[in-house]
Amino acid sequence: MRLAGRLGGAAVSLVMVAVLGFFLFRVVPGDPVVSMTRGRPTTAAMQAELRAQFGLDRPLHEQFWSYFTSLLRGDLGTSFTFRRPVAEVIAERLGPTLLLVGTATVIAVGLGLWLGVRAAWRRDSAFDRATTGVSLTLWAVPTFWLGMLLMMVTGDLFPSRGMRDTDTAPDFVSQALDVGHHLVLPSITLVAVVCAEYVLVMRSSLLEEMHAPYLVTARAKGLRDDLVRRRHAVPNAVLPAITLVFLRFGLVVAGAITTETVFSWPGLGLLFYDALTGPDYFLLQGLLVVTAGAVVVMNLLADLLHGVLDPRVKVV
Amino acid sequence: MTPEVTNPVLELKKLTVHYGHKRVVDDVSLTLAPGQTLGLAGESGSGKSTVAMSVLRLLPRTARVDGEILLDGHDVQTMSWGTLRAVRWASASIVFQGAMHSLNPVRRVGDQIAEPMRLHGTPGRVTELLEQVELPLEKARAYPHELSGGQRQRVMIAMALACGPRLVIADEPTTALDVVVQAQVLTVMKRLVAEQDLGLLMISHDLSVLAETCDDLAVMHRGALVERGCTREVIANPRHPHTAALTAAFPVIGDPAHRWAEPAAAPEPLLEVRDLVVDYGRTRAVDGVDLTIGQGEIVALVGQSGSGKTTLARTIMGLRKPSSGRVIFDGAAVPLKGRALKAFRRQVQLVLQDPASALNPRHKVLDAVAEGLRVHRIPGDEESLVTAAVERAELRPANLYLDSLPHELSGGQQQRVVIAGALVLQPRLLVADEPVASLDASVRGEIVALLLRLRRELGLASLIITHDLGLAWQIADRVAVMHQGKIVEQGSVEQVLLNPSHDYTRALLRAVPQV
Repeated sequence: MRLAGRLGGAAVSLVMVAVLGFFLFRVVPGDPVVSMTRGRPTTAAMQAELRAQFGLDRPLHEQFWSYFTSLLRGDLGTSFTFRRPVAEVIAERLGPTLLLVGTATVIAVGLGLWLGVRAAWRRDSAFDRATTGVSLTLWAVPTFWLGMLLMMVTGDLFPSRGMRDTDTAPDFVSQALDVGHHLVLPSITLVAVVCAEYVLVMRSSLLEEMHAPYLVTARAKGLRDDLVRRRHAVPNAVLPAITLVFLRFGLVVAGAITTETVFSWPGLGLLFYDALTGPDYFLLQGLLVVTAGAVVVMNLLADLLHGVLDPRVKVV
Repeated sequence: MTPEVTNPVLELKKLTVHYGHKRVVDDVSLTLAPGQTLGLAGESGSGKSTVAMSVLRLLPRTARVDGEILLDGHDVQTMSWGTLRAVRWASASIVFQGAMHSLNPVRRVGDQIAEPMRLHGTPGRVTELLEQVELPLEKARAYPHELSGGQRQRVMIAMALACGPRLVIADEPTTALDVVVQAQVLTVMKRLVAEQDLGLLMISHDLSVLAETCDDLAVMHRGALVERGCTREVIANPRHPHTAALTAAFPVIGDPAHRWAEPAAAPEPLLEVRDLVVDYGRTRAVDGVDLTIGQGEIVALVGQSGSGKTTLARTIMGLRKPSSGRVIFDGAAVPLKGRALKAFRRQVQLVLQDPASALNPRHKVLDAVAEGLRVHRIPGDEESLVTAAVERAELRPANLYLDSLPHELSGGQQQRVVIAGALVLQPRLLVADEPVASLDASVRGEIVALLLRLRRELGLASLIITHDLGLAWQIADRVAVMHQGKIVEQGSVEQVLLNPSHDYTRALLRAVPQV
């Protein structure tokens, strides 16, 4: 029953996202046809034809209905700027984003949770102060500034634009090495910026558990300090962090707009930026639906996983 | 008197523990032979738990420990960390208080019992240990929250015995349990200690529990050991005034000296409960209850945890809707919503068990007490009303306390603040859920006296919910015994507690540990 409730809740959220995605970009000022034809001489007839082509001449509720039904079929409409189906454009950019933001998130989560545990366990030690201080500073730093700083400091060591060089040999190994090489700077930037969140959540959550009586029991049993931490303290303290991690995994799909823009990484973040400068309504609409949908789904997964990890929460 | 022990399991020599400049344990010397059971009594803050924790060197790093702690002849203080870890649990283990929090909530209890066995390489099986503490074997797969309080405490005992220690330290092992479960757990402990020839150091604030379990008794007061001897003798002829105060504070059922309530004439009914039924989903928590509380009458509602007494109280207060039946207050049915319900609630006030959690830690006494006035928008000078209520609750002079925060007060003072918060609304009925269960013996008597004085001076009626039959004997005019949602017996205190007619009442009375 609880599972059905959770699934139902997620479904309602997804529908809300779809509805919001449609109306949000209809209330934005500006005429899509005007922006589409900006810089080119057009006649009123051509504009009317474009309007008809994108269905913009029909009443709002008809537009919504056709948007909604095609959404259910997986059709997100056609992009003005790319003149191609939105779904296709997004799918093409999904891979690079998952590669960059996924890598960075996995590293940041691992590093952040580990640092958070160590910092809390030796609270107020030099290690704790250094960890919290450095991660907070990096969190406060603007992403684009950090990215540009990294580019300047590393000089020619790592490529700073795009995902691969045009002159790389086409075989898999050279291609992979090239992409990996390009990946270094943007992922360092992302990890540096988001890691603090995990450090702080893990640290405060473990600090709350530090005085729990069951840790005294564990020590009284004769467990080594690191076993007390690994077997007893961390499994309890990590629970709140799980939710955050999964929410973050949801945001992976949204990409990292600033990082991708700074490093010209051809992912969804850069696509978002381009779509906004258009503005390309159908593309924005599609991006919103896809990224918000990913967050909803990941949130659902976090709920379910929480139930698996914490026996006190009954999900199924 | 105590024979010279040649090979003691535990020997404390001039143990002194400081936290900063505060001396919490003061020059304590003790010996415990194998097979010997020693009770360590004292109130909160007497240092008894600090002694327990020092045996396995579990005190926080801020503690400074002087003196010797010899476990099987070896000084715990000078052991290397490796030796100490090997000694922990294998030589001495601890049954902690509050098994809910002392067990890891996300691990199965079977794993937690097996953990020290694997660690110390002790042969044996979890199932055998569960058998010893009379727990069904399939409970090994349960998580702590899936067990009852008594079952969790049995898990703690099984865990303590896992590595076959020579000494078991039990720190308030039954404090949160009701009398019947407490008696069962104590029986299991007594049997195992005798069978396995263990040394037992049992720590409690409750002399009757120690008297039931231990041959010898030591009493601690402000960090020092003030008395030590054979349990019977210490209780019969206490030599130290603090021991005398402790023994006197626990009411003996049937002893007229412990019967503090003065007999009252048959009163007019104030609250009547008629055929009340409350269902939680498919479970019937309250099953056809009839109960009357007269004006100025004190009624004790006794029963085990889960008997439905708290649900009954919540329904009486209008916090839960009855499934059927009626609650009549002062001649009119208790309203179920709106302004009428709010007005009714002003006349019936609640006092909870644990004042430390009932009070908002960030609210000053003034705000805590004035909250009811603000909720009910009662006209008049707030500060003078609060002052009057606080002084009624015997915190005098009130202005010393009004700006205090709860953590600056003692347990007894906190409970007085809770009572003042109820009194400020000038209620006619007080519903008190275990009002003295979390208080020390000496403070307990003061709160009981306060409740009786309020009845005498203000004509305040009370419904006291408790599993403590001694409290009922001390304070109540009438007793109602609740079992599985039904009131199985009710009548005057003398009638119910001295000549019980129902088997369940007799079982409850048998379970009460006697000093």
